[in-house]
Amino acid sequence: MGQLIKDRQTAANEWAVAGSESAATATRLILPLTDYLQAGATSQDQAVLLKPEDQDLGPLLPHLAELPLIAIDFGSSGEGRGYTQARLLRERHGYRGELRAIGKVRADQMYFLARCGFDAFELADGEDPAIAIAQLDRFSVAYQSGPDGLTHPRRRYGA
Amino acid sequence: MYRYDDIDATLVAERVSQFRDQTQRFLSGVLSEDEFRPLRLRNGLYIQLHAPMLRVAIPYGLLSTRQLRMLAHLARKYDRGYGHITTRQNIQYNWPKLEDVPDMLADLASVEMHAIQTSGNCIRNTTADHFAGIAPDEIEDPRAYCEIIRQWSTLHPEFTYLPRKFKIAVTGSPADRAASEVHDIGLHMKHDAAGNVGFEVLVGGGLGRTPILGKVIREFLPREHLLSYLEAILRIYNQEGRRDNIYKARIKILVKSRGIDEFRKAVEAEWEQIRDTSLKLEPAEIARVSAFFQPPPYEQLPNVDVTAGQSPGFLAWYRYNTRPHKVPGYRAVVVSLKAPDMPPGDITADQMDALADLADRVSSGEVRATHDQNLVLGEVRQIDLIETWNALKALNLATPNVGTLTDMICCPGLDFCSLANASSISIAKQINDRFSDFDFLYDLGHIEIKMSGCMNACGHHHVGHIGILGVDKHGVEWYQITIGGSASGVSSLGKVIGPSVGKEAVAETIARLLDVYREQREEGEEFLQTVRRIGVEPFSDRVYGTTH
Repeated sequence: MGQLIKDRQTAANEWAVAGSESAATATRLILPLTDYLQAGATSQDQAVLLKPEDQDLGPLLPHLAELPLIAIDFGSSGEGRGYTQARLLRERHGYRGELRAIGKVRADQMYFLARCGFDAFELADGEDPAIAIAQLDRFSVAYQSGPDGLTHPRRRYGA
Repeated sequence: MYRYDDIDATLVAERVSQFRDQTQRFLSGVLSEDEFRPLRLRNGLYIQLHAPMLRVAIPYGLLSTRQLRMLAHLARKYDRGYGHITTRQNIQYNWPKLEDVPDMLADLASVEMHAIQTSGNCIRNTTADHFAGIAPDEIEDPRAYCEIIRQWSTLHPEFTYLPRKFKIAVTGSPADRAASEVHDIGLHMKHDAAGNVGFEVLVGGGLGRTPILGKVIREFLPREHLLSYLEAILRIYNQEGRRDNIYKARIKILVKSRGIDEFRKAVEAEWEQIRDTSLKLEPAEIARVSAFFQPPPYEQLPNVDVTAGQSPGFLAWYRYNTRPHKVPGYRAVVVSLKAPDMPPGDITADQMDALADLADRVSSGEVRATHDQNLVLGEVRQIDLIETWNALKALNLATPNVGTLTDMICCPGLDFCSLANASSISIAKQINDRFSDFDFLYDLGHIEIKMSGCMNACGHHHVGHIGILGVDKHGVEWYQITIGGSASGVSSLGKVIGPSVGKEAVAETIARLLDVYREQREEGEEFLQTVRRIGVEPFSDRVYGTTH
């Protein structure tokens, strides 16, 4: 498993995806969407994993207020559905908890991920955290809207 | 034309430094080839047969002469002294060195140009009518909206990892000179009954393995909703487009499988959610961008007959290589990049420099690239046409063949492209050698040959009046011929005439097709109309014999 980056620095990972190697010893679990919904979970130690095909966010909406973390999986390189999932959660549904990109997350995706609302990134194996963090500041301007807290002082469309 | 402000300039400069860093990481081994590939592709950099190929964006085909001189400089300094104009109004360099590309991008940034998103699975360069702003038949000038789309789509965070590439074309005239029906999104500017400006929106067109014409998703989209509607289409595509099979990943396959009505329902529902957000274009923003595309200060000139007493050479050039202009006393000049001794669409650095000088002297200091791989001087006074012709002739840029058989669209093919199955440039030469008699060409009238070296269809063969597709059969180059395609006005896809023909037989096959046309045509009928009237069979019979 690669390094976790949170709040623009490396961080210890408290969470494990259910069924993964580290799940046995982890106290906080990320559950697949159907498992999470079935469990009716309200524990702060349970989070949900969205796969690329989980595009219908409807069933998750009642839980957004109490969810501490949503992990979005970028399984294969070139996978792009997670960018839309993130924007919808943040912009349309007002999700305020941690939004974590997992799977094959590469340094050069960081900028786009952050601009879609991700605030935590589990890097692919072998990715250098320092290089990855540096990519967050690659651009000082943008043409599109982004989440609050990013350093994009001027935007033209969709601010 | 549009000029960068500090936001635009900063973004492009930061992109150059990003790519310099990415290239450095690749060359030092931090990034693997697999990891570097999607990054370099998003900057228009392919690794081809002989060398990298850099595709530079010419947004909606519009260049200042300053920019054209920089393109010449790049050709001279980093390439072998020429560039190739593409069917999406861009320019390609076939021989740069990877380690030089960051410097090339920095040079481009100094004249407000870039190679952002000229390749890769993202929103590509937006293309437009090359006569935008000057065509007498134009309803509205589309270029301000093209520029707005360019900015909105540049580094769009949500749409940088799409299922597949995504191409948008905009036209402001009913004579579709942007091939908009074979784009992922085609936008046709129009007015509603109340005179408001907006767009007819088409979606799901494309060529490649599965050629499909775009379908109307919205009859009229008020212009202020342009970006929110595009964003809604892109979002549905990003969510639902296939990612399991590269050949089924374009939006045309999604639209086809869901049906246009179902797809429209999904887009409109999404649009309802975002149409009145900050994506809505304010009149002030439309006015700000439109101000860059105001017409130059025209002189009050009468229309004059400049042909009286002129040589047959000038008359032919005037007839074939110039077009009407909406302002009296002016004319648009098509600069033919289809000289018989040059690969179609190629232009040398010296030609670029000289053309820039000419455009400053006789036109408005701008040059336009066309999707059929020519250039245009848009604002030439009629009284300057003879001087213009003489200058272009001296540059080998006045071959009077625009719209004729030898004004071919042609991809780089097997000579350069690592995707190609067969050569295109040698076939173009074969056709030029066989049909070198201009009287014969003029007798044939308007006819479009479009040629691709593989089924990716960069040469738009499906929509050629005569389409030529290179195929590979056990290591031998063969060519499949179609007829009856068109991408302008009433669009249609060409039909295959029969089995592929051998490399040596392409020109002969075309000769037989032309014989049938010349025998069967009715008064004033173009090749395409004859094919539509009599069908493919008489042509197939002539090529293969009636017992095929």
